[in-house]
Amino acid sequence: MHISEGILSGPVLASGAVVAMAGTAIGLKKIDYDHIVHVAILASAFFVASLIHVNIGPASTHLILNGIVGLLLGFAAIPAILTALLLQSIFFQYGGLTALGVNVVVMAVPAVLVHYLFLPLLGKSSSLNFTAGFLAGLFSILFSSLLLGMALWFTDENFFEISLVIISAHIPVMIIEGIITGFCVTFLLKVYPEIIPVRKK
Amino acid sequence: MKIKHTIIFAVILTMIPASVAFAHKVIIFAWVEDGYIHTESSFGSKRKAKNSPITVFNEKGLIVHKGITDQEGKYSFKIPEKIDSDLVLKLDAGTAHQARWRIPENELVTVHSAKDTQAAIMEKEKLEERPSIFKIITGIGIIFGLALAVKFLKRKTS
Repeated sequence: MHISEGILSGPVLASGAVVAMAGTAIGLKKIDYDHIVHVAILASAFFVASLIHVNIGPASTHLILNGIVGLLLGFAAIPAILTALLLQSIFFQYGGLTALGVNVVVMAVPAVLVHYLFLPLLGKSSSLNFTAGFLAGLFSILFSSLLLGMALWFTDENFFEISLVIISAHIPVMIIEGIITGFCVTFLLKVYPEIIPVRKK
Repeated sequence: MKIKHTIIFAVILTMIPASVAFAHKVIIFAWVEDGYIHTESSFGSKRKAKNSPITVFNEKGLIVHKGITDQEGKYSFKIPEKIDSDLVLKLDAGTAHQARWRIPENELVTVHSAKDTQAAIMEKEKLEERPSIFKIITGIGIIFGLALAVKFLKRKTS
């Protein structure tokens, strides 16, 4: 999912950087003082999640966890994901530094979307909690795949074909991330409900 | 109690991946031997980039050779004729995954010793190293350091 150096055109890189900066500013403003430690925990989880490799067929994919980060943090997921991606790029050479903005958009925008789509489903019943978590994990990867396809399309590729390739390569990750996010949400609602924003309401 | 739960959650989330640390960076490594350019491509940690196109450019950006890696991520080819600049080898290892390796012009004509080959192998192994625990812990430390800074700034402004 990380875009390397030298793939995208200048305008796409610049647009990604602008959107990422704007999102980070909004995210930093929206971080609740009492929940900053949650942001750090989830950023750390995102930072190390890419080291979990899913080896299915010839595809080389890894966990992303932007679903759970977005579900729990909302807009605050953007600075969390930006920090984690920057550190991944520096320490693990995942994705290019010049592509950081686009990588943030690709992974953080879907995170914010699933927050608003699936957070209202939480806290109603245990089966719905798992379903909401599963869908958040699944759709975050699906949306990220589409955004990645769009970034490549704007550069010089065939969007439809590229998107199909990306989505099909990430189907195992969508399912695995959905299950992990579903279990994490169910677990957290039982042992540490304060971390789920819905419980505050 | 709240802090205890936070710490437990952090430990669970950060410890799970430590046992299955596979890298996802893209690497192409190339060296010259007996008139041939040999390449090895991987995603790090010995995972090979199979059936991946390799394109070779000269300094002007013109394509001078094309090929595809085998099941071991390897590809070798004869040094193209009439090369008067560095060569850049570009690996396309799937959507949005790309890596490059530059071979200086002088390396294309030099006869390489066993010592050079040994040094090249060591360089390749260094590139393929898995992320160390030290780097992972440092990264997490930086994240929490930044979080503390944000917390401090927010307290100051309020």
